[in-house]
Amino acid sequence: MSDINTAAVLHGPLDVRFENIKIPDLGENDVLLRMGSVGICGSDLKYWKLGKCGRFTIETPMVMGHEAAGTVVKLGTKVKNLKIGDRVAIEPGVPCRMCDLCKTGKYNLCKDIFFCATPPDDGNMCQFYKHPADFCFKLPDNMSLDDGAMLEPLAVAVYSCKRGQVQPGSRVLICGAGPVGILAMQVAKNMGAASVLLTDIDDHRLSTAKTMGADYILKVNTDDPKLLAEQITTIMGEEPNVSIECSGVDFSFRTAIHATYPGGSIVMVGRGSFDVTIPYTIAATKEVDIKGIFRYANCYPAALAYVSSGVIDVKSLISHHFSVSEVVKAFETASTPQCKAIKVMIHCEEF
Amino acid sequence: MQTLNVIEMFMFQEEQPIREPGKGEVQLCMQKVGICGSDVHYWQEGRIGDRFIVTGPMLLGHECSAVVSKVGENVTHLKVGDRVAIEPHGICRVCEACKQGRYNLCPNVFFLATPPDSGALARYHVHGADFVFKLPDNVSYEEGALIEPLSVGLHACRRARLAMGHKVMVCGAGPIGLCAMLSAKAFGAAAVCMTDIDPVRLEFAEQCGATYTVLLEKGMTEEEVARKVTETLGDAPDRTIECSGAQFSVNLGVYATKPGGVFTIVGHGPNKVEFPVVSLVAKEIEIVGSFRYINTWQTAIDMIACGKINVAPLVTHRFTLEETMQAFEMAKSGKGVKVMIDCAKH
Repeated sequence: MSDINTAAVLHGPLDVRFENIKIPDLGENDVLLRMGSVGICGSDLKYWKLGKCGRFTIETPMVMGHEAAGTVVKLGTKVKNLKIGDRVAIEPGVPCRMCDLCKTGKYNLCKDIFFCATPPDDGNMCQFYKHPADFCFKLPDNMSLDDGAMLEPLAVAVYSCKRGQVQPGSRVLICGAGPVGILAMQVAKNMGAASVLLTDIDDHRLSTAKTMGADYILKVNTDDPKLLAEQITTIMGEEPNVSIECSGVDFSFRTAIHATYPGGSIVMVGRGSFDVTIPYTIAATKEVDIKGIFRYANCYPAALAYVSSGVIDVKSLISHHFSVSEVVKAFETASTPQCKAIKVMIHCEEF
Repeated sequence: MQTLNVIEMFMFQEEQPIREPGKGEVQLCMQKVGICGSDVHYWQEGRIGDRFIVTGPMLLGHECSAVVSKVGENVTHLKVGDRVAIEPHGICRVCEACKQGRYNLCPNVFFLATPPDSGALARYHVHGADFVFKLPDNVSYEEGALIEPLSVGLHACRRARLAMGHKVMVCGAGPIGLCAMLSAKAFGAAAVCMTDIDPVRLEFAEQCGATYTVLLEKGMTEEEVARKVTETLGDAPDRTIECSGAQFSVNLGVYATKPGGVFTIVGHGPNKVEFPVVSLVAKEIEIVGSFRYINTWQTAIDMIACGKINVAPLVTHRFTLEETMQAFEMAKSGKGVKVMIDCAKH
């Protein structure tokens, strides 16, 4: 095994450099991975363009990438669940395991969590990367490394449907037909949703959603959220009882508040304005709960089972492939609407 | 099968060097350790069921309080001199159960005084710091040690989804039943009716706060007792917590619990029981197992500190560490409720 470990390192907005970083030493419960597929997420785009996303800002150089899969090349002394050669999907968030949040099963909210490519934590767009073995999930033979990388956004989708309590008979509104929105649509249908409607401003994304199983699609055609909500209700026949906001646009949040059936939930996946103005009185008087979500906890096994069993299609969402040496082009493609990118996959094998 | 000599174990510990705390651990100068039915059982029988068998020398004792004597690396929430209560768990933190917040079900769990894991009945003990909780000034060491059985009761009430206004039946008025009763009242139960075969225990239960008691007299059937409890409470219990380990109570729980209610079983009864399954089905009763506890220590401390739960009266007998043998004989006799051992050097 070579001792070179090239990584794609983000130094600041639009400043990506390839650097040789140290091959990490393994703790007794860690594995060393030869990195394979790494997908680009909306948050990665924000760090790349602006150097910040939500409440996190890049202050020191950071290896990019967190939607990833690789192959085990070395085992820590106590690792029993994996062997050398296993291909794994990497759940990027490693919590402290000791605090009350961890002990009550909400490790996604751990205040001391390590999370790939959320500053200051390094990501895994590199040759060799170490990770605790219990957060690496072995891929069966019928799943590729690309599929493995897709488990990260799929885990977000699974968690948001769980938080929204999607169940048999639910009517689900999904705002935003990007990868997370389309995956949430598939998960919702597999949880028994009677009907799922997606909204978006982009025709290509909407038609992709329809091809992949959306019952209804609706292109945003007004700047009045109440009007859009009325259209949604007319199309679905009744107000949706679960709304999953995946667009990161304040307008969608307002639309969901107007649209959701009394007693229902709005799950906020997308990140809009930090301080947002919403018609909260409407949500309050309908007892519509507004639920934040942050990443996921204990969702990788379900996501893996969904893909391995063929029940959820993640492959069709991968629209572009790039070698890691073309990382800048990959990010540019991902952020240019005319490129019609849905999920851009970066391949680290060539590093 | 090995029977234990408790005095031998105590002497064994005296000769051992006091262990240094590792990363994330604290060294504790033990104060009070309560004796549990399981401790007595291991001492007498050397095993519980087929799963837990004593195969080598071990300490007993898992209901405990202490003073922090040394702090290991990376421990920031405790300092030397802190008065603390100890949650007996050590967990793997990497399995599914641990990550889902149900660490009591961790397949690799370490639990004080459950063989092969040694307990804390000693002058000093080292433990994972995140399972050690500070006691406020108004909570005594005895109360701190009682947090363990209280936690069993608290967890059973959570498992039962016990809520304000519920009528509750608790089977068995030993320490666990008493803790279940105290917890149920803290959860806002409208009334708690306790059953037992021993009138002395039932009287004690009333003094501790049980709203009603029903004595199980010889010859009474489960259905008769169920009727009597319902009459006493004014309605069938919404929630039943079984803490006696008796086959009779399992049947009683199914007969008595209101349709749609929850029946939580804590007691380790016979391996297999016969029970009225048709009643269970027709009444849509949920039977829920409750094993040890998860995330209860801070809640228990807060409830004792603010006076909402009063566990102190449960301690009926006290012995020093040197008198451990007599303490165990007293616990075995069933005469008291909770026997407490003082481990501090005086």
